Amino acid sequence: MSNFILKRILLIIPLLLGVTIVCFILVNINQSDPAEVTLRVNNITVTKEAIEETRKDLGLDKPLINQYLSWISNLIKGNFGISYESKKPVLNELSEAFPITLYLSIFSLFLIVFFGFIIGVLCALFENTLFDKIVRGIIFTTTAIPNFWLALLLIYTFAYYYNIFPSNGFEGLNSLVLPSITLAITYISTFVRIIRNSIIQTKNSLFMTYAKARGVSKYTLLKHQIRNAIAPFIVALNMSIPRLLAGTVIIENIFALPGLGRVCVHAIFVRDYPIIQSYVLFMALLFIIFNLIADIWIIKRDPRLRHFN
Amino acid sequence: MKLLLKTIFICITTLLFVACQSQKENKIKNELIYASTKDIRDINPHLYGGEMAAQNMVFESLVINTKNGIKPNLAKSWKISNNGKTYTFKLREDVKFSDGLIFDANVVKSNFDAILKNRVRHAWLELINEIISTKVIDKFTFELNLKNAYYPTLTELAMTRPFRFISTKCFKNNQTKNGVKCYVGTGPWILKEHKKNDYALFVRNNNYWNNKTKIEKIKWRVIPNHQSILLSLQKGEIDLIFGADGDMINSDAFSMLEKSNKVKTKLSNPIASRAILINTKREITKDLEVRKALEHAVNKQAIIKGILNNKETIANTLFSKTTPYCNIDLPIKNFNVNLAKKILDKDGWIINKDTNIREKDGKQLILKLYYNANNAQEKTISEYIQSNLKDIGIDLKIIGEEKQSFLDRQQNGNFDLQYSLSWGVPYDPQSYISSWRALSHGDYQAQLGLNKKEWLDKTISDILIETNKEKRANLYKEIFSYIHKEDVYIPISYSRTKVVYNPILKDVGFNLSQYEIPFEKMYFEKSK
Repeated sequence: MSNFILKRILLIIPLLLGVTIVCFILVNINQSDPAEVTLRVNNITVTKEAIEETRKDLGLDKPLINQYLSWISNLIKGNFGISYESKKPVLNELSEAFPITLYLSIFSLFLIVFFGFIIGVLCALFENTLFDKIVRGIIFTTTAIPNFWLALLLIYTFAYYYNIFPSNGFEGLNSLVLPSITLAITYISTFVRIIRNSIIQTKNSLFMTYAKARGVSKYTLLKHQIRNAIAPFIVALNMSIPRLLAGTVIIENIFALPGLGRVCVHAIFVRDYPIIQSYVLFMALLFIIFNLIADIWIIKRDPRLRHFN
Repeated sequence: MKLLLKTIFICITTLLFVACQSQKENKIKNELIYASTKDIRDINPHLYGGEMAAQNMVFESLVINTKNGIKPNLAKSWKISNNGKTYTFKLREDVKFSDGLIFDANVVKSNFDAILKNRVRHAWLELINEIISTKVIDKFTFELNLKNAYYPTLTELAMTRPFRFISTKCFKNNQTKNGVKCYVGTGPWILKEHKKNDYALFVRNNNYWNNKTKIEKIKWRVIPNHQSILLSLQKGEIDLIFGADGDMINSDAFSMLEKSNKVKTKLSNPIASRAILINTKREITKDLEVRKALEHAVNKQAIIKGILNNKETIANTLFSKTTPYCNIDLPIKNFNVNLAKKILDKDGWIINKDTNIREKDGKQLILKLYYNANNAQEKTISEYIQSNLKDIGIDLKIIGEEKQSFLDRQQNGNFDLQYSLSWGVPYDPQSYISSWRALSHGDYQAQLGLNKKEWLDKTISDILIETNKEKRANLYKEIFSYIHKEDVYIPISYSRTKVVYNPILKDVGFNLSQYEIPFEKMYFEKSK
C-alpha cells in the first residue's frame, strides 16, 4: 500500500512537469508578444526601445530553454511571477480571489452531497415508482439547463421577485446561496443518478440475495447496499472538487463575485500571461491531487485492487 | 459516516439560516450605488488605463467645458497673449489636495512636466505637441507657452485626461508615467477603498473648495453581466447605470425600462457618431465603387427603428450638423438597393447565380466586419448590415472579438470594415480628427489607401493652429467633404448617452463629455 502511494506521489512530478511545458509552450506560440502586451496593459507607448527594455526586464531576451528553467526554478521557490497588469505578485492576486471561489465550492459541495445522496437513495428505494419517475424527469431537465440561464432564472425569482437573496456581489454568506445552488444543480443530477444506479445494481447482486435468505433485517440490508454504492459516489465527488473550483467562471461573472474565475477571465482579456499560466498550473495540480486521493481511497477500501496494482 | 452526516447537517442548517435572514432594512440613503461592467482600474489621471468617470470624480482641471463654453475651475481666470501663444492662469488660492497639499503653481508645473515626459503617449492630443514650456510666475500664477496659437488649447486642458492634477506626493521619482503611489486629487470625491473587480468606494471630500456633494458616498460596483445589472437595478440594489453606446444598456432594455415604474430613464442629446469604418487600403475596399455601393446598401432607417428603437437620429454625415464646424451641406447617400447593385455591376462585380455572391476576376466579394463582442448592440447592428449586404450580393462575415483583440486589429489595420464610435463633444471634431494622424488609430489605418492621405494629415495639422476662424471653418469643410466623397465611413446614427436610475435620485443629468458622470450634482430625495 505504502509503495503504491509513494509511486503515485512520485508520478506527480513528471505530470506537473508536463503541465508546465504545455503552459509555457501555449504562451510562447501565442501571436501576442508578452513584452508588447505588458507595455499596452500599462498604457506605456509601444516603441521598439520600450519593447527591447521590457524584454530584458522579463527575461524574454534569453533562449527559450533558459526562460523555461528560470520559470520552473522560480515556481519551486514559490515565486509565480508578477502580473503584467497590476504589477503585483501573481500569488497575491490569486490568493486574494481564492477564498470566494473556495466558499462557493464548499457550499456547492455540501448541497451536492446532501441532496445528491438523499435523493439518490430515495430514488433507488422507490425504484420505478411515481416519485422515482418524477425525480428522474427533473434530473433530466436540470442536467440540460445551461448554467447562465438557470442563474438568471434564480436571480429573477429569488432575488428580484421574492427579494430573499442579494442578486450579486459578495456581502456575506447569503450572497453565496444562489450561486451555490446554480453551481450544484447539474452536479446533484449526476450524483443522484450515480447513487441510484449503484444501489439498484447492489440490490440485485448475489450477496444481497444470500443476505435476504439468511433473514438479515431490512435496515442492515440497506446499510450494505449504501456502503457498496458509496464507492463510485466518493470517487466522482473527489473529481468534482477541482471541477467545481475551475467551473465557477460563468457563475462568478453573472453573480459578480470577485473570485478566481473572474481573475482568470480578466487575465485572458488583457493577456496577463503570468496569471493565466499560474491559474492553469494550479487547476492542474488540484486535479492531480484529488485524483490521487480518490485512487488511494479506493485502494484502501478494496484490497483486491491493492493486489492488482 | 455519522460524523460526515453530522457535518453535512450543520452546514445545510447554517446555509438555510443564513438564507432566511431578512434583507437589510431601508435606511435614509446617503450612498449611491452605481454599477458598471468595468472596474475603475488604475485612475492615474495622466494615463489612460482607468475609467474616465472615476478619474473625473477625483481629479480636476484648470478650466471646464460647459454648454456655454469654457468656464474657470482650478484657475479662476486666464489671459491669452496677443499672438495666442502664451496662456497665463491665475489659480484659486483656496484649493487643497485631499492629503493636505496646497494646490499652487509649483504643483501645476510639476503635473504638466510629468505629463510632458510622456509626450509620445499623449500624441493623439495636439496640445501636447504644441507646448514648449511651462513656468511658475508666482505662487498662484502659472504660464503655458505654445509653439503656435493652437485654438483648442482651453478645450483640451479641460478634458478628463491627461491635464488633471494629482498630488505630487503620489509621484514616483517625480514622474507619473510609470504609475503613481496614490490617487489624491482636489476633486469632490476621495477614493477611499478599491477592491479590484469588486467595488470602489468614493467618499465626499469634506475640504472641497467648491460646493460639497449632497451624497456622502458613491459605491462603484463591478457587475460584469448586463442582465444581472438590469435585474439589480429593478430590485433596487443599485441606483444608477450610465453609459454611451450599448456597452452598459442596449436600446431594447432601455425601452423596456422606460415603461417600468420602478426606475426612471433619461437620454442625452445626440452626442457621438456611430459609423462603420471602411478600410481604403484593403484589396476589395480600396475600390471607391465598392465603398460607394456599401453606402447605399445599408438601411440606416431600419437600424434606427428596429434595433435602436428610435432612440438615435439618422446620420448622413460623419459628424452631426450641431458639432462645431460641421454644419456643412454634403450630398446625402440614401438607402437604395438598386443603385448599389448598379454600381457594383458597372464596376465588374457580377452575381454568380450558384452562390449568389458577386465575383470579379475570379474573386468573390467577401468582406469582414469586426465588432466588440461584449457590445450587444454592435452585434445586432452588424447582423443587420450583413443581411443588407447579402441583398446586393456581398458576403459579409461578421466577427465579434473581445475588446483587446478588437483594439489590436484597429492598430494593425487588419480589417475590411470595423465598427466605430466617435468620442463626442468636446472631443469632436478637433481631437477626433487629430487622432486620424496617429498610427495606432483605426481611422488612420483605414485612410491609408486614400490618394490624398498626406494632404489630409497636413490639413488637419493646419486646422489646429489656424487662428482665423473663417479660414479654419473652410479647412474643416475641405477635409469633411473629402472624407465624405471618398466614402471612408458609413455613418449610421448619432448616439445618445442613456441613464437609468432610482426614482428617488434627483438631478441626474449629463456633462458635456459622454465619459463623465456628474455624481456631484445628484442627491437623494427622502424615500416615501
